[in-house]
Amino acid sequence: MDRGVLMAPAGSPPAGGFSAAMAGLEAFSDAEVMVRVKAGDQSAFDYLVQKYRRPLVGFMYRMARNAAAAEDLAQEVFLRVYRARETYEPSAKFATWLYRIATNLAVNHARDTRHERAEVTVSLDEPDEETGTTFELPDGGLTAEQALVRRERLLAIRGKVEALPERQRLAVIMHKYQQMGYKQIAEVLKLSESATKSLLFRAYETLREQLKEFI
Amino acid sequence: MTCDEVRDKMPDVAAGLIAATGEESKHLASCDACAGKLAEFRQTMALLDEWQAPEPSPYFDVCLQARLREEMAKPQAGWLQWFRRPVLAAALTVLMGVGIGLFFNHGRGRYNSGPNQAMADNFGPVEPGTAVSDLQALEKNHELYADFELLDDLQVQDDVTANP
Ligand SMILES: [Zn+2]
Repeated sequence: MDRGVLMAPAGSPPAGGFSAAMAGLEAFSDAEVMVRVKAGDQSAFDYLVQKYRRPLVGFMYRMARNAAAAEDLAQEVFLRVYRARETYEPSAKFATWLYRIATNLAVNHARDTRHERAEVTVSLDEPDEETGTTFELPDGGLTAEQALVRRERLLAIRGKVEALPERQRLAVIMHKYQQMGYKQIAEVLKLSESATKSLLFRAYETLREQLKEFI
Repeated sequence: MTCDEVRDKMPDVAAGLIAATGEESKHLASCDACAGKLAEFRQTMALLDEWQAPEPSPYFDVCLQARLREEMAKPQAGWLQWFRRPVLAAALTVLMGVGIGLFFNHGRGRYNSGPNQAMADNFGPVEPGTAVSDLQALEKNHELYADFELLDDLQVQDDVTANP
């Protein structure tokens, strides 16, 4: 089976895409798969892309608040993984390593675009460019007014998560939306588990307090 | 089982990462304060659920593949890259050719173009596992680890000053 998609000479069309990544790698840990990437196995890399692209795009979307930037940043994470493949050591959990790269990129992006973001004003009358279809396709059966209320609530949620201090925001996004436990978040943020726990408690307390009108 | 022990796990329980153990459930059934706290966490989580992220676009894979191919075709970092850029290599070859041509022309009036190809062939791709490729790998890792150091500096004061 020819899975040399990524090794194809420049100019030749992609053969199958990442979705055709070799089956059978599920039996291995991600760290083991990454070791195969290190050894030059392109299908192993395809497999990791396939497995992590959706969560990474989601993570970057909530950090960057912009779908196009999220895709660009998620791709950059995979490029960095690829570039660093030769020095990968399977001592750390692969996902932890991946999210450390992703977190770093997201934080830098947030800092680089802080000014642009401050100027983004959201008008309720216009379709939302940042979310694509989220606001444009309200659930069936909602009246225009209900849709507006829903949208307002959504903007508040987004805004309040975004307004959290950097590490609290990272911790909440990893915990709530990436389904990562205290221990793994602690490893990504290089904090103790108890510090991570209190970070999360404070963040959720703040969110609850600031969003109480919607609860 | 104390209230603190139960509350410790509440974010994970409310987020659905873990289920409450039998003992924890027993405590929750008998302690209104903890039960109320867990209900609060669940409400907050349910609200946060409304913020959905979009799926990767259909262009994600194609775009990533293109970037990876570009990455692979890209000249490696280091001094050798100058010889691996086609335009520069061609320019260099022409320059050498002209120089050599001038030299031969000056001497014997012939051989204007002969040695060019031989010159260009001297600069092949870097073999993996050589000192040069090792250095290149090091340089790239430096980029990655420099970023990690940045991450270590994540603003601590944010957490200290915000919501005391
Ligand atoms: Zn209690």
